[in-house]
Amino acid sequence: MNNKKAVLLKGLLGDNTVLSSLMVISPVIVCGNTLENAIALIYAFSAITFFSVIIGSFVPKRLPYAAKIIIYAIISSIVYIPVKTVAREFFPDVVTHVGIYFPLLAVNSLIVVQSETKFYRMSRASMIPSLVFYILGFDVVMIVTSFIRELLTYGTINGKLVDADTLISGLGLPFGGFILLGLMCGIYRKVRSVIRRDSGETGGDGNVSGN
Amino acid sequence: MFLVTELVALLATNLILTQALGTSTLFIAAGNKKNLLWTAITITVFTSVGSGAAYIINWLLPDTFADLTLLFYTLMVGAIYVILLTALYFAGSDSFETTRKYVHVSAFNCAVMGTLFTITDRADAYPQFNTFFNFVFSGAEAGTGFIITAFMLTAAFRKLNSAKVPASFRGFPAMLVYLGLISMAVYALR
Amino acid sequence: MQNKIKSERLIWVDIMVTLLTLGLMDYFYYGVRAVVLGSVCVAVSVVAEMISLRLMNRRFTADDLTCVSDALIIVLMLPAVFDIKIAALACVFAVIVAKNIFGGRLNMIFSPAAAAYVFLYTSWKNQLLMFPEPHVHTGVFEKASNLVSSSSHSFNITGKMSESDFEILLGNVSGPAGAVSILLLAVAAIVLLFRRSISSGAFIGSISATVFLAFIVPASGTRMSSIKYTLVTNMVLFASVYIIADKRIAPKRDYYAFFYGFFVAAFSYIVVITTAKENAVVLVSLLFTPVALGFKNLEKHIENTKLAEQEEAEKAAAEAAVTSLTENGEEAIADEQ
Repeated sequence: MNNKKAVLLKGLLGDNTVLSSLMVISPVIVCGNTLENAIALIYAFSAITFFSVIIGSFVPKRLPYAAKIIIYAIISSIVYIPVKTVAREFFPDVVTHVGIYFPLLAVNSLIVVQSETKFYRMSRASMIPSLVFYILGFDVVMIVTSFIRELLTYGTINGKLVDADTLISGLGLPFGGFILLGLMCGIYRKVRSVIRRDSGETGGDGNVSGN
Repeated sequence: MFLVTELVALLATNLILTQALGTSTLFIAAGNKKNLLWTAITITVFTSVGSGAAYIINWLLPDTFADLTLLFYTLMVGAIYVILLTALYFAGSDSFETTRKYVHVSAFNCAVMGTLFTITDRADAYPQFNTFFNFVFSGAEAGTGFIITAFMLTAAFRKLNSAKVPASFRGFPAMLVYLGLISMAVYALR
Repeated sequence: MQNKIKSERLIWVDIMVTLLTLGLMDYFYYGVRAVVLGSVCVAVSVVAEMISLRLMNRRFTADDLTCVSDALIIVLMLPAVFDIKIAALACVFAVIVAKNIFGGRLNMIFSPAAAAYVFLYTSWKNQLLMFPEPHVHTGVFEKASNLVSSSSHSFNITGKMSESDFEILLGNVSGPAGAVSILLLAVAAIVLLFRRSISSGAFIGSISATVFLAFIVPASGTRMSSIKYTLVTNMVLFASVYIIADKRIAPKRDYYAFFYGFFVAAFSYIVVITTAKENAVVLVSLLFTPVALGFKNLEKHIENTKLAEQEEAEKAAAEAAVTSLTENGEEAIADEQ
């Protein structure tokens, strides 16, 4: 039971989409500076990734790798169309503000690359919950990053002014996103290695590209 | 003087340092120096050829079907992907096993798609920019920016992966902070 | 190894002496506010260094006091009336983000002071580039008034400086106190060069590029005034001594260090004359960190190649010696027989 739980939670904690694998980091770095942006991007990422991976799981496994990658990208580009239409209804300003990062969510590595190496090796019954946790992994990082950046950059929480007298405007810019994400990534690894050590698991902090 | 001004402009429009496009791909390729450089070169091929093709798609696609842009770009990048793989196979089937991995990594990612969308956005904002030559040139410029960033990362590769770096920050996190600081300098100079 | 540690500590002492002298000028021109700003920054840097080293499971030793000199470099680039809280934040940024995340003093990549300055430049540019007039003393808790832009700014815009040469030499001009005291900086540069406490290659490279370009593409009316004013404005001299020629960052060999310094200064000069960007040299020195690293990699590569060649030569010599010994032995045995 514990093992099953660990596998499920892997995408959220053990192998976080953003902090561990550094996938889909561009939207987090550039657009993850307000909670309003974060919520719109979370909706789009979750919807596009979930439906694209599920539909993509019906693609025959026998096809050559390149053909499968192209088909996955086409599926996500089609899924993107209704997702964007709905987003325009609920987040009209954010869709304009986020700009090119909205369509880019459709070619994220979780759909194009990781689905083939990770999800499609599982049975569909275990793939769906695992996929949900990988998506949640992105969502949580997006929320935390946006919360910190919005608070320290604009002195607001979801647009509501709070009492903050020293604001760091640079943190809202892409370089601020790079630095904050780097720091979060290091802290995440530290926490993960402490948890693993306490629970007697093997495996260190990992190195670049797993090398 | 001209070179320095051009270099500043190239850095100021660098898609990784200013828009974080293709950062994941850069890190995936950062496993070793050779991978990094070849991936950067392959991405330049994709951005240059893709931008030319994007110009044609934009020209043919009516505004009312703007939401289909991504789908058409995907089909076009898919076509370039297949053509490049085929060309590499016939160019040298012995080295195909090695070279094809660069094509796999470079085809569908934020660096390529981001470049196409950025150039299209710029052309929408400045109509004088909307020419085939400008699209191809901007695609090549974006790819060159990617190569420059790859060089920047390669220069620090040994230090960022050194045993002296705290284990939790070694590799990816140190790379992110490193690129962040360089990006901060680029922003200050813009 | 012992010698290396000793020399690193001596370098730090030399740099500290020159920085403290510049700090004294800061106190002379701007009063106790400058001292408080410096003290807070030093204290915060030491605490940040101690905490981050503790988190890295390392002990704080005398060698880690380099954070104090970095803090002083940062302070000397700031207006004396700069917000103390923000300056402290910049020091924390320098120690943690620009230094210790990459392994601290054992694995330096960026100049912490340059990184902190650029950090301030991107978020508090207006406050960073507005200065009190010299001799205007502001109380510790007083809000500064009548701030003016620096003399570098007016030079970048007009190509002229209204102050006399004597005032410029003494630093009696508006700007960051540490960076405008030209006479003191020149003395500091000479002392540090002779004591080999800064990279002479990088320093000479930086100054040569500035002089060369100021002569070829004058930023002022005459070539001579262009050279003179370009050297004393935009923190060129200060950055050449304490940031570009920082031995922890610049390439080891003077030959490579010269080119590194040359490129940084040349690039920043062109940025200044094309965009009038104030203090571009500090921004460019951060941007050119990969260039310094590239040169260092090249040095290491050459060293390794030389070592390999040397080892091969030694091996070949040893083999030759063994062969000749064997041959001699065989001959001797043959003679005996």
